[in-house]
Amino acid sequence: MLDAPVTGKRQVARGMFVIGLHAPEIAASVRAGQFVNLGWEAGPLLRRPFSVFRAEREHIEVVLKAVGSGTAQMLAMQVGDRLSCLGPLGRGFDFGSGAREALLVSGGLGVAPMLLAAREARVAGMKVTWVHGARTAAELCAEHDGDVVVWATDDGSQGTHGTAVAAAPDTDLVLACGPNRMLAAVAERWPNAQVAVETYMGCGTGVCLGCAVPLRRGGYDRACKEGPVYRAADIDWSALPSHLPYAVVA
Amino acid sequence: MSVAIGAMRLRGPVLAASGTFGYGTEVPLLERGALGAMVSKGIFLRAREGTAPPRIAETPSGMLNAIGLQGPGAEAVVRDYAPLWAEWDFPVLVNINGESASEYGELTARLDGVPGIAGFEINISCPNVEQGGMFFGNDPRAAATVTEAVRRRTKLPVWVKLTPMVSDIGVVARAVESAGADALCAINTFVGMSIDLNVYRPRLSFRTGGLSGPAIRPLAVHLAHQAARAVRIPVIGIGGIARPEDALEFLVAGCSAVQVGTATFVNPKAIAEVHDGIAAFLEARGFPSLADLPRYLPRD
Repeated sequence: MLDAPVTGKRQVARGMFVIGLHAPEIAASVRAGQFVNLGWEAGPLLRRPFSVFRAEREHIEVVLKAVGSGTAQMLAMQVGDRLSCLGPLGRGFDFGSGAREALLVSGGLGVAPMLLAAREARVAGMKVTWVHGARTAAELCAEHDGDVVVWATDDGSQGTHGTAVAAAPDTDLVLACGPNRMLAAVAERWPNAQVAVETYMGCGTGVCLGCAVPLRRGGYDRACKEGPVYRAADIDWSALPSHLPYAVVA
Repeated sequence: MSVAIGAMRLRGPVLAASGTFGYGTEVPLLERGALGAMVSKGIFLRAREGTAPPRIAETPSGMLNAIGLQGPGAEAVVRDYAPLWAEWDFPVLVNINGESASEYGELTARLDGVPGIAGFEINISCPNVEQGGMFFGNDPRAAATVTEAVRRRTKLPVWVKLTPMVSDIGVVARAVESAGADALCAINTFVGMSIDLNVYRPRLSFRTGGLSGPAIRPLAVHLAHQAARAVRIPVIGIGGIARPEDALEFLVAGCSAVQVGTATFVNPKAIAEVHDGIAAFLEARGFPSLADLPRYLPRD
């Protein structure tokens, strides 16, 4: 746990912002798909979990939209304001498969873990294709990485007309993040894809059991410990709430 | 700052509340150094899946939870956790649950004598199960029956965690004291509901949940005080404690120790900070020990 000053903020799409934090220990150790749990003085009671978007030298970045009052407060922060930062938490993507190509599929805020994923895939010697989808061109994240980048919009205003999943080619290793409905479609097409899921979270450290993820084999485990990255076919998508505000923000 | 809870001597007055510290093994982030004792996540005799998500919802200065006592059951606790607890330098009590008094008794019998298990906290106050839980805790006779069922099967310390969802907590407190409880824990969560206006339904899949956090603290101080006035056995205060002064309110109100719960979710160092802050308070006010702290316990 460390006290991290805000170092900057910039807009990367309509309503989507990146916040930078000085967090050396986390920047040094975070892996793609892991998250930080952020809290602040006079903030809401519970921390808010965010995938780490970038990690360079002593800095990390997270990407967010104003979904509720907590994220709205974060977006009102100024350089120098402090966020209590717990992490890196959870289990990230696995790049040990020996695949030659990595396909990153993101929808809306699902870009969150993908910059780090692209970096780690390259380190593992893979060619990176990134397919990014959003409702409209204005909501496509301006920051991306990949040897090939494919756009998809629901209204056809940029790139392929349709979903990111539909626009994606087939390949060895598929990593995905986005709204739960999108991830359910990923699971249909690529059962072995690795997907980063989002849930409400209490503690982020494995004790409260609030971030239950329903499993196909029955029972639940914890997005904050066993997740947030899962094999797509292991999740019982019909039992994972898809109506919650965070799950429908695209 | 050691305290006595019945025959049990604890090295400090700040304990980890059930359901907020897992089995104590989850993360190195959770600091155990200042713990007086830990109460495990609530378990049943058999494994339970728990409730469907969403299980938690944040509310003003608090949170609702309906986890549904997800857990691996007694055999797994005996096999996987108790051997670790036996090595620790503070006691671990197991929070026990059942759908009937006899099931509480059976669970106690299975756990009694297992190295690493120092005592029991009877949960007759969980609001998030279909059978048992709170339904025992808001009926003084049922509460006493469960307490007796456990008491008959162990000589280890037996604490009873009370529900706030009663019209007179003193009645239940006296009933379980008479049934052989060594201490009371007051209180468990309040039953609450929050509605999602996007879909016109409760924010929790279980519909209702247990409200915890600073929102309930004044209610909890009041109920812990009432319980402490009603009985001679020690009362352990619980409810929204996040800072040292919160804990001190419970101690002055008549509690012998406190449990910190929801605050641990936000601040993994909460227990250590509360412990150190109590010590600093005692020193700053010139009290040689915790026992010298003034207690507000008027008896009618």
